[in-house]
Amino acid sequence: MQNRDAAPAIEVRNLVKTFCGRADPVRAVRGVDLAIRAGEVVALLGPNGAGKTTTLDVLLGLTSPTSGRAEVFGQPPRLAVRAGRISAVLQTGGLLRDLTVRETVRMVASCFDQPRPSEEVIARAGLTAVATRMVAKCSGGEQQRLRFALALLPDPDLLILDEPTAGMDVSARRDFWETMHADAEAGRTVVFATHYLEEADSFARRIVLMADGSVVADGSTAEIRAKATGRTVSADLPVVACAEAVDRLRKLPGVADVEVRGRRVVVRSGDSDVVARALLVEHEATDLEVVSGSLESAFVALTMAAGAKEVQP
Amino acid sequence: MNGTFTALELRRVLRDYVSMFFIAVLPGFFYLIFGAAQTYGSEDAGNGNVAMYIMISMAAYGAVTATTGIGGMAAVERMQGWGRQLGLTPLRDGSYVAMKAVVALVIAAVPVGLIYLLGLATGAAGTAAVWGLSAVLVLVGAAVFAVYGLAVGLAFRTEASVSAASGLLVIMAFLGNIFIPLSGTLLTIAKFTPLYGYVALARFPLTEGGTPTGGQEPLWHAVANVAVWATIFVVVATALVRRGRQRQ
Repeated sequence: MQNRDAAPAIEVRNLVKTFCGRADPVRAVRGVDLAIRAGEVVALLGPNGAGKTTTLDVLLGLTSPTSGRAEVFGQPPRLAVRAGRISAVLQTGGLLRDLTVRETVRMVASCFDQPRPSEEVIARAGLTAVATRMVAKCSGGEQQRLRFALALLPDPDLLILDEPTAGMDVSARRDFWETMHADAEAGRTVVFATHYLEEADSFARRIVLMADGSVVADGSTAEIRAKATGRTVSADLPVVACAEAVDRLRKLPGVADVEVRGRRVVVRSGDSDVVARALLVEHEATDLEVVSGSLESAFVALTMAAGAKEVQP
Repeated sequence: MNGTFTALELRRVLRDYVSMFFIAVLPGFFYLIFGAAQTYGSEDAGNGNVAMYIMISMAAYGAVTATTGIGGMAAVERMQGWGRQLGLTPLRDGSYVAMKAVVALVIAAVPVGLIYLLGLATGAAGTAAVWGLSAVLVLVGAAVFAVYGLAVGLAFRTEASVSAASGLLVIMAFLGNIFIPLSGTLLTIAKFTPLYGYVALARFPLTEGGTPTGGQEPLWHAVANVAVWATIFVVVATALVRRGRQRQ
């Protein structure tokens, strides 16, 4: 679809959000820069506590940043929400249990100036059969589809999904993403937070990896994999590795992590050749195996690196 | 104001039969037992009779049960994520509060309407001014307890806490001279409790300050009680809203 907007769908500059906790202030987001063009499908990937939800909350105008700037289609988030340009499927919660599915849609629809017809969004979300059911009696998947129906009401140009498939079973998850695929193909910009790697991998064309409140990697799936350059070398040692042997492996150039599982050692490294040579020659290892980086190992390597930086500021 | 939203909210509360039982049916039943069925019901009291006095008391009890529950649930709902959902719409906080206030007023009018009808049918007597003014005072004063419910909901954030707040109303109602006429030290203490001033004010058109024990109380006692408690509830609720906002 043609991008008729000069302004990017999302523009975030040096976003910082600090929560004043009882003890120490929690720095949930520590200087995030992010630009997303209209029509992109982007996964915001990261472990719990990476700052994904907080970043999305700022974009939705649900919370204000401590410092920095966030704009949606060139507008402050709250104005973009009022104009119906951005909408979201929120994480669990957020529904009234004693309303029916249809009543919930009608109630939220009544808050918009020109919503899509209630019956239309109910049908789009596949809820027609359960429209008269109480929310309390809906399954987790049905409740999630109801949140999706609510998000469709303003017919937004940008749809934010915060952990949209949390609590869904495998088939509900597949159905959900099929619906989303259709939407994205129609040209809607979609940004979703997840910690399911396969979802990010199969649905998004771009992945923004967050850890400890910062963006640690941003690019296509292939680029993220390459960035980690992680390969895993594992082999059996003649005897259970002693601390000294592990230490020697750790000191090899490019080694990120050494794990001992009985006689087997597992080494994650940027230079697998050096590790392989050392294992075979110095440690008389057998059954050597080299596995190239999966998205998962990239995820681990990149988020761990961010954690390590945290320890030594 | 959004008609669809308000109507759906009303329908939601009205079909919660358990709550509606405590809001309307139970106080109505209390009126019949303590007012209509008693021989003293037809005795004179101020500008009417004793049945009227008990009718106003029970209507007030039903009305505050309604507003406390609605205020409390509004707070709990918003904090359990419904506030975030509504935050994704153009709905403004002011409109939301206004709609909840309308809902609270309409629901509070249910026990008032029911009990006044029962009163009319079972011999509660008073001048037209007593009927009209007391109903208005019951409804308007009940708003103070919507703020009480709101404060409790904001402080404890659970549905159980809202039920507890409604339960606490029973104790306040005893101390508020609603169920039985108090005397002595207990009465002295009771005068400082939240429901005392509100009910005394609602009954003022009937009693003009006369008490069941033959005493006389000036109007400002009731007004001061309501004003002080309203201020306390508003200050606490405001502080709690601020606390909630900082955590966001």
